[in-house]
Parts: sequence; structure tokens; C-alpha cells
Amino acid sequence: MGSDTLKNQAANVVVWLLLLAMPYWLPHVGGYVELGSRVVVLALAAMALNFLLGYTGVLSFGHAAYFGLGAYGAGMTIRYLVPSTGAGLIVGTLVGAVAGAIIGPMIIRLRGVYFAMVTIAFAQVFYFIAFRWNNVTGGDDGLTGWTRQPLHLGFATIDIQQNPVAFYFLVLAVFAIAVGVMAFLLRSPFGRTLIAIRENERRARFLGIPVDQHIWISWTISCAVVSVAGALYALLNNFVDPRALYWTQSGDFVIMAVLGGMRSFWGPLIGAAIFVTLQDYLSSQTENWMSFVGLFFVLVVLFFPRGILGMIRRKVAS
Amino acid sequence: MSLLKVENLSKHFGSLIAVDDVSMTVEPGELRAVIGPNGAGKTTFFNMISGFLTQTSGKIIFDNEDISTLLPARRVWRGIARTFQITEVFPELSVRENLRIAVETASGLRLSPWLSRERDGEIRTRIDELLGMGGLAAKANRLVGEMSHGDQRATEIMMALALKPRLLLLDEPTAGMGDQETYDITQLIRRLHRDERLTIVLIEHDMRVVFHLADRILVLAEGKMLAEGTPQEIASNEAVQAAYLGKAAA
Amino acid sequence: MTQVVLFNIFNGLIVGAFYALMALGLSLIMNLSGVINFAHGGFLAIGGYLAFSLIPYVGFWGGLILAPILTAVLGLIVERVLVRRLYGRDPLYSLLLTFGLAFMFEDGTRFIWGAQSLPYQVPGWLLSPLSSDYFFLTGYRLFMVLIVALAVGGLFFILTYTRLGMRIRAGTLDLETVSVLGVNVRVLRNMNFGLGIYLAGLAGVLAVGQLGLQPTIGSSLIMPSFVAIIVGGLGSLPGTLLGGLLIGVASGVTTVYFPSATEAVMYVMMAAVLLVRPRGLLGEEGRF
Repeated sequence: MGSDTLKNQAANVVVWLLLLAMPYWLPHVGGYVELGSRVVVLALAAMALNFLLGYTGVLSFGHAAYFGLGAYGAGMTIRYLVPSTGAGLIVGTLVGAVAGAIIGPMIIRLRGVYFAMVTIAFAQVFYFIAFRWNNVTGGDDGLTGWTRQPLHLGFATIDIQQNPVAFYFLVLAVFAIAVGVMAFLLRSPFGRTLIAIRENERRARFLGIPVDQHIWISWTISCAVVSVAGALYALLNNFVDPRALYWTQSGDFVIMAVLGGMRSFWGPLIGAAIFVTLQDYLSSQTENWMSFVGLFFVLVVLFFPRGILGMIRRKVAS
Repeated sequence: MSLLKVENLSKHFGSLIAVDDVSMTVEPGELRAVIGPNGAGKTTFFNMISGFLTQTSGKIIFDNEDISTLLPARRVWRGIARTFQITEVFPELSVRENLRIAVETASGLRLSPWLSRERDGEIRTRIDELLGMGGLAAKANRLVGEMSHGDQRATEIMMALALKPRLLLLDEPTAGMGDQETYDITQLIRRLHRDERLTIVLIEHDMRVVFHLADRILVLAEGKMLAEGTPQEIASNEAVQAAYLGKAAA
Repeated sequence: MTQVVLFNIFNGLIVGAFYALMALGLSLIMNLSGVINFAHGGFLAIGGYLAFSLIPYVGFWGGLILAPILTAVLGLIVERVLVRRLYGRDPLYSLLLTFGLAFMFEDGTRFIWGAQSLPYQVPGWLLSPLSSDYFFLTGYRLFMVLIVALAVGGLFFILTYTRLGMRIRAGTLDLETVSVLGVNVRVLRNMNFGLGIYLAGLAGVLAVGQLGLQPTIGSSLIMPSFVAIIVGGLGSLPGTLLGGLLIGVASGVTTVYFPSATEAVMYVMMAAVLLVRPRGLLGEEGRF
């Protein structure tokens, strides 16, 4: 439950070393820097979802809503308001977070499959808006005509626009902050109440924890972080389209969390690495990559429900 | 002045009357047992007092405050803690972690994003205290879900105790336990009653436990109050005997 | 003016009846087994495609009868082989499974029948309007409503008067008791799933006559089913029926005044219901 055992600390060190050195080793194994950025961005989204799913025990199948809002928020800010990467990030995050905070109370009393259903429905609302509001969002063609802007830091300018490695490190920096906040919260008394809710909601209630309120807070934090990921996603692609809001995107986040291991902090990162790489590879190899992705979901559910880290943990424990 | 006053509490499930006009007054420091044959409505009665179920009619007054419409979490804050017939704990966490959550919540830290070293120390001390009281110190790091029935129950009771309750409701604490475990739990409850001077109301089927611990006993049958009194009075009450043993004994 | 409104209300009812048919199948499965069948749209598409392939051999009526049955059989197999394994577990897993299946079905239909929109032959006599005043009352639309009404009626008949139906209803309320009473719960879930998929397949055969046949038809129709269930009431089949009709009519009416908001109105209704009565119009307390 967040104790700093030697194992945990070692794992953290390994993960950060791999992430920091990524631009240098990834190309040697057949990858490319943008793929690495993509993994980190989607990993952040999956980890944000896991804050809610793996730690609080609440399943949202509509997180693409806030991911997409973050993306559109960033893109539209840069295109229509001020050509600044920082502004894009901030506005994107705020839009998604606020939407989550408002929608939360409406759905908080539902549980289980019914909760999952309404999260899907809400995501579709935003999809529909992005799709229809052509002149603002670009509709199905997506939001184009803008790119991420170089970072002007006063004493220096970092060209994240042209230099993929520089952009990767920006992504990693934002990732570090967001992930750090989540880790910090999960280790706190508040974080433990979330785990309590996951473990036994009735007992949590009868310890005096106002369950609905805590779930709402967890939900809002989760939405806020996934919006950050969305904003980064827009910046990565210099493009946003309604696909980012579609329910299939939400499903991707869930599968990443499950595949890597819902009960561990870094699980979704591993899940994202595998899933993104697999999807990237498959779509370049065959037109029917969708079937394979679907098959992949089915196999993971049937044979790896605890995820990779879950399986490793079991082996180690026995 | 009584700590808990239940007035004319009833619960109807459609046409089924589970609890019918039951009243009970519990004095501070008392250990009250609620007994009765199966289906008498005892757990439903508890569920209403703890807020798990809403009563059809009647009032619940705790420490002079009408709590009849308060949500369960709020009743916990007022000082009512309970255990369940089927142990409700956090099975995949260790005993220590279970207690930690209870202690932190009781200390008002449930929303706290951070814990100072000092506070952390205080909490650890309190957890160790509870572990000792419950006889769980040696098993502190074991997963609750993997422990024996008796130990799980003891953990649950200590979690309830962590909340510093003024009233402890125990729903069949010895359910499903063998003789040794029953003995251990009974001793635990007795220690809590005596040393912490807790007011306890418990539902029990095991008469040895009841007569060993209770100051007063309330007997329910088919949702209605059958008798109330000291253990001696109840033991010699013919109506009670009939309810338990059936017409054959009468 | 009233004619336009009438047109749209009627249109809405037809569309609503159709949404209800899909939603009922989805709700049936969800209520008994706690599974959100994401692949429901996929089964719908398969129903449509099977009909397309069969019609040249067995005619329109043959296709209408056979395709849903074949789709239901596929449903029974899927339940037996895949879904069944996940019942004891967190609902998360069956969600992901059906999600994956949805992908496979969509891509599968694309692979077998091609990505292009296929021409779907509906008997000519059905397509002509019944009267020039009410030009919108084409035979096909009435036909759709008729079939849906028959199907829904049949469903409620099965649920109310047959043993299977009663067991399904009892199982929805308390599966444990039902199994203790000696009912084979595994078979019950299997049959229930098949019944739900039959409805999806039937909806597919009907839909393609109206909307055309392409691989994406499944995923485009699944959302209204969800909303119908949320609006009409969780755990309630009459509620789902009502929800579907309401959504249909609401979209129909909205088309008159705010054409671009037609799709949005069902989401607005959903949000309104969630705020005011989270369990849905006819939903049961404690179902969630």
C-alpha cells in the first residue's frame, strides 16, 4: 500500500532510467522518438484512469471524453487564442478537469455496469459536439492549421516544434509532475480511503467515510490528469480529431491498465508500451489490424486478467 | 440519562413486518444483548439503528439527538460503530493497514493529502495499541482475508474500536466460530466493556456468551418485543422458553 | 405545419421503436447477467449481412426469418465459449471482452463482405407510399413498426407466460434463489443471451433496409440503445421500451425546430434523467 520497500524503489529507478534514456535506446530496437512520446502520453492517460479504476475500484469506460476535451482545449487555444504551448496545456487541462468535476455529481450515485454505461454516454456527447461543430472544431476532418509552439523561456527557446527529442522531454517533464502528484496522493490518508472504498465499500461507509464524496474527488483528479494527457496528445500530433473522443479510445485506456496490471502503479505504463507498439506495428502490416486488436482484448481478458505485473507479483509471492 | 433510546421502531417490507414496534433504552456503560429465534428481526433492528436501513416508523435518539434520518457515515461520526454478521473488512490488506484506515478516518484525516512525521508516529502508536488490545500484534502484517474467522472478527472489532465509539453494535460476533474462538472473542468483548467502559449492544445466538456478558437482555420474536430484563429474569421467563423451544417445551 | 410535425413524430416513433428493439436485447442481457454487451451492434450488423447473403436464395421473407435465428445461434456460441467464463468476475472483464468482440465483428464483416456500402433489396411493394397525402407512410416503415411490435409483443409474452420467461424474470431479481430452486442457471443465461441477440439480429435485418448496409452500422446504432436504457430505467424492460420510443419521438420533434441538434437531444434527455431521477423513469431502486 505504498510503502517504500527496496523493491518499489528499485522499480522506480529502473523505470525512470528507461524513460530518460528512451530517445537513445528506442531507435536501436526499431522504434522512433515520436512513438516513445506517444507511449508516454497514452501511459499518462491510462495511469490517470487507473487512479480511478485500480485504486478506487470504479470503472469508467468514458475517459476519452476528458482526454478529447484536453486535446481540443489545447489545439483550439493555440489556433484561436494564443500560439503558446504552455497556454494550450493549461487551458486543455482546465477544460477537461472542469467538465469532469461537473459531470461527476450527476453520475456518482450509480455503480458497476450502470456507472460505466453513463460514462460512455457522456463521452459520446462530446464526440457528437466535436463532430458537428464543424466551423470551430473542424468536424470529422479534425482541427488543423496549427502546430505546437517553441517554448520561450526567457533565457532560452526550446524548439519542441521541430525537434522530436526536445518535445519528448517536455512530455516526460509533464508526465513526471502529473505522475508525482498521483503517487503522492495515493500514499496519503486520502489515498488510503480510496483503497478502502475499492476493497469494501460497505465497510468504508461504516467507518465514516462519505463514499460518494470521495469517489467524486477521485473521479475529478482522474479526469484532470487524463486531460493533461489529452493536451499533450494534441501537441504531439499537431492535430485533433473526434476519434480522440470515441468510445474505442476509452476502451484502449482500460485495456492498457488491465494489461499492465491494475493493482500496480506502473502497470498502465507497461500496458501502454505494449499496446501502442503493437497497434503501431499491426496497422502498418495489415488492413485488418482492428480484428487483431479486438482479439488482443479478448485474449488479455481471458488469460491475463491480472495483467503482466500482476502475474509477476504472483510468481514472486509463491 | 440514557445513551440510546429507540422508540417504537418498525420496519415493513411491503406486507412483511420484519420489526414491529420495538423500543429499547440503553444506559451508558451497559452491555445489552438482543436475542431471539431466527427471523426475529434482530439484524433488521440493528440495520435501522446503524442507518443501513430506513425505518418505516419510529425514532432513534442517540445522546439526546434524534438521528432517525442521518446517513450511516454521519452516525459513525456521532459515535456509533458496528460490526456485521458476515465480517466486513478489507480482505486484501494487512491487519495493520486495515486498522490504519480506521484510525486515520477517526482522526479526521480522511481528506488529508499529507501526513507529518509526528502525526504518522501518533497513528502508529495507536495502531499498535489496538493490535495489542485485540491480541493481533503477532499477526499484524498478515492479509486479513487469509486469517481465521476469529482473527478476522477481532480485526473488525478493533477497527470499530478505532473509531472511538460511544456505542458499539456487534452483530453475532461469535457466528460460525468454534469453542476456543468463541471464548477468545467473548474475553475480548468483556475486556473492552470493562477497560474502555464502552456501551455495547450485541446480537447473539450463543446463550453462553449472552449470559456471560450481558447486563440486560432484550428478547425479540417474530419482530415483536417478547421480554426484557436481567439474565436471571429472562432465563426463568416461560414465554421466552416457549419461543425458543417451541410448543413442545411449554 | 402540423403535417410536418406529424411526419416527424411518426418518423420518430418508427425510429424509436427500432431503438427500443435493440435496447431491449441489450437490457435483457444486462439485467440477468450483468454484462454490457458492447458487441450488440456487431451482432446487429451480422444479422443484416446474413440477410443480405441469404435473400438471393430464400427470398426476403426467408432472410427475415433465418438471419436473426442464425445470429442468435452465433450469440449462443459466443456466450457458451467466451462470456460464460467471466460471470463470477468484475463486470469490467465482460465489458472488455464484448468490446474486443465488437472490434472483431466490425472488421470481420468488412473482411467478408467488403467495406463498401452494399445494395439491399427490399421488396418493391413495400417501398411505395400508402397514400399521397401521407407520403411518409411507406409500406416499409409500417412494416418495420409491425415487425417490431410483433417482436416486442412476443418478447413480453415469452417473459410473462412461458417457463423460460418466468425464470429469466426471477433470475433478474435473485439469481441465487433461482439456482437453489433447481434451475440450471448456466442454461438460463445462455438462452437469455441468445434471446437478446435474436432481437439484435432482427433489428439488423430491419435496419439495413432503412439505413443501408456497411460495416460501421453496428457501432453507430449502439449508443441510442444505451441512452434508451438509461432514460427508461435500469433493470426495467418496459422502461427500456418507453425510453426507446421517447428518444425516437424527441429526435423526431427536434428535427422540426433544431435540425442540427437531433442527435444531441437524446443526450440532453439522458442528462436530465440522471439529474432528476438517476434510476430512470421506470427503473427500480437499488438496481445500481
